[in-house]
Amino acid sequence: MINQLRKIYPSLLVYKEGCDHLDRAYKWFVTDDNKIIGIREEELTCKDVALLVTFLNPYTTDLPVLTVEEQKWRKVIQMAELSPTSEFKLENPYRLIYFSFKENQISPILFKDAINELFAKQVSILWENGHEGIIIEEQMMYEECISYEQIIDVLMSDLYVKIKFFVGSFKEELKDINQHYQSLTKAAKTIFSYSNKTVVTYIDAVPYLLIDQTELEARLDISKTVLQDYINDEETLKMIEAFVQCNLNISETSKVLYMHRNSLQYRLDRFLEKTGIDVRQFHHAMAVYLALIARK
Amino acid sequence: MADLKLVNIKKIYDKNVVSVQDFNLEIRDKEFLVLVGPSGCGKTTTLRMIAGLEEITEGDLFIGDKRVNDVPPKDRDIAMVFQNYALYPHMNVYNNMAFGLKLRKFKKDEIKKRVDNATKILGLEDLLSRKPKALSGGQRQRVALGRAIVRDAEVFLMDEPLSNLDAKLRVQMRAEIQKLHSRLQTTTIYVTHDQTEAMTMATRLVVMKDGLIQQVGAPKEVYDKPNNIFVGGFIGSPAMNFLNGKLEEDYFVMEATRVRVPEGKMKSLREQGYAGKTIVLGIRPEDVLEGPVVNDSPDTKIRASIEVSELMGAEIVLYSKVNNQDFVARVDSSCNVVAGETIDFAFNLEKAHFFDEESELRINTN
Repeated sequence: MINQLRKIYPSLLVYKEGCDHLDRAYKWFVTDDNKIIGIREEELTCKDVALLVTFLNPYTTDLPVLTVEEQKWRKVIQMAELSPTSEFKLENPYRLIYFSFKENQISPILFKDAINELFAKQVSILWENGHEGIIIEEQMMYEECISYEQIIDVLMSDLYVKIKFFVGSFKEELKDINQHYQSLTKAAKTIFSYSNKTVVTYIDAVPYLLIDQTELEARLDISKTVLQDYINDEETLKMIEAFVQCNLNISETSKVLYMHRNSLQYRLDRFLEKTGIDVRQFHHAMAVYLALIARK
Repeated sequence: MADLKLVNIKKIYDKNVVSVQDFNLEIRDKEFLVLVGPSGCGKTTTLRMIAGLEEITEGDLFIGDKRVNDVPPKDRDIAMVFQNYALYPHMNVYNNMAFGLKLRKFKKDEIKKRVDNATKILGLEDLLSRKPKALSGGQRQRVALGRAIVRDAEVFLMDEPLSNLDAKLRVQMRAEIQKLHSRLQTTTIYVTHDQTEAMTMATRLVVMKDGLIQQVGAPKEVYDKPNNIFVGGFIGSPAMNFLNGKLEEDYFVMEATRVRVPEGKMKSLREQGYAGKTIVLGIRPEDVLEGPVVNDSPDTKIRASIEVSELMGAEIVLYSKVNNQDFVARVDSSCNVVAGETIDFAFNLEKAHFFDEESELRINTN
């Protein structure tokens, strides 16, 4: 294919590993077999570009060049079904971590440099664009663990950028990785539209993802039916949300809310009297929690 | 070094959640300003707006004379220290401090000069080649401070930097940060939920609740003259006692118990129309007296039974009730009182505060 394209676009060149930067005078694409090719922009019309992106992936020059490992991951992720003859060998369990930061705040190359210093082995990063992507983290046996909350603080103090992570669960096989990759990316975008947290795990996200699947009318109905007269009582709802987040622990919640534990007990009793829902019981608390998410 | 000015700052998150509003503050050059308040009061959001990590919904932020609302965080000349004092686990102390500068393409000799300087200031000379896992919590936090110092920034922003340390280390690091500030004289904005940390470290405090400033002032000023019930209760440990009662003639009356209000305060309360009304009396635990002094104050004497007695070393904290309202007294440890005993207390009402029952604002009686 490359030779055929070169006949049409004589400037076409294939990126060679080891070169630091991609020439900005060229428009860059990734082929199906993960080769990065460039064609001089002056040789391309808008129509040409539109046609080329139907069978090639555009490649941004600001993004770090894919390593061999990253190329392998991209290839395996792009496969609709994993071929039994695939040469990709999984050495350790892995998880996918979606990240995003504010557009145009830092260079993706700097981000990658900093991220790589946090792990024992170089991690693969597949970029969606200049400010979003997926980190592929392999589980290493003896590595000192550093949480993503800590990673955010370290990177914020060095890179001056607010980062969000959606952390997937560890997997031991590559089966369905394509689907997993797609659903994780989609879920991340959903979850950050509900939550202000900067690190969300897949497990934390499940209630949000389930509620997001329901029709708007059903969501309204759930929140109205469960929350009843309290649907607009921000103070009480904030208190109940904190109570759920503190594992239904009165002392912990009263500390977090700077509220006397007796006042908290009294307000939870009032909620029970008025709604018949006892949020001290797990299944009632769960229903109220889902209703709170549905209300968002 | 720099002044900062926050003018009518407001932060609204998606879905119309107001996190901070009507925030007006001038932070003076070299000041150590502490934002303090309970979880969710907007203090971290305010700090992050100053850092540029959160967008400002309304209002203006100035660093020096320059409006910086739209200036990217990396160009604001600030250095940040966060709660998680995590470091790059595979780099030694030197490289952890140098890495931020390397990313910013500083020259090697400049990096070395700055890291050496921070190393000396923080006494890290012997630890430079160690990796984080070989450091104690306090040492890691010092390295995290070092990472900020090497920036040579105009403003330090610190978000609960000590809250992950154990109590003893926290006290030690508190003093180290104060020493660091007096040495570097860099304008510092420090966020904490811990009122003791706020009181001991601040040049000025900003007490926040529900996204609003409740009071700004020097620690002593805020302690002695809290603007409202919230500030009175938040600043001070054990917290200020609040008792509901009615002002009748010259007395503050709590059902069967009454205490005489000093003449000057009573006159002022009467002039402001509080005679015959329900108000809130605020009295700090150290102003609830015990022992022989009680006999000198028959008009403010109350009898109460002790529910809990906590020996703190030099003093004892006594938990009791007057007319079903809880109160706490902090008395000398020579007081030999145990739970279950009934004793006489006297309220030092010269030092008491009165608050409006509805607005919860302090009534000026000075």
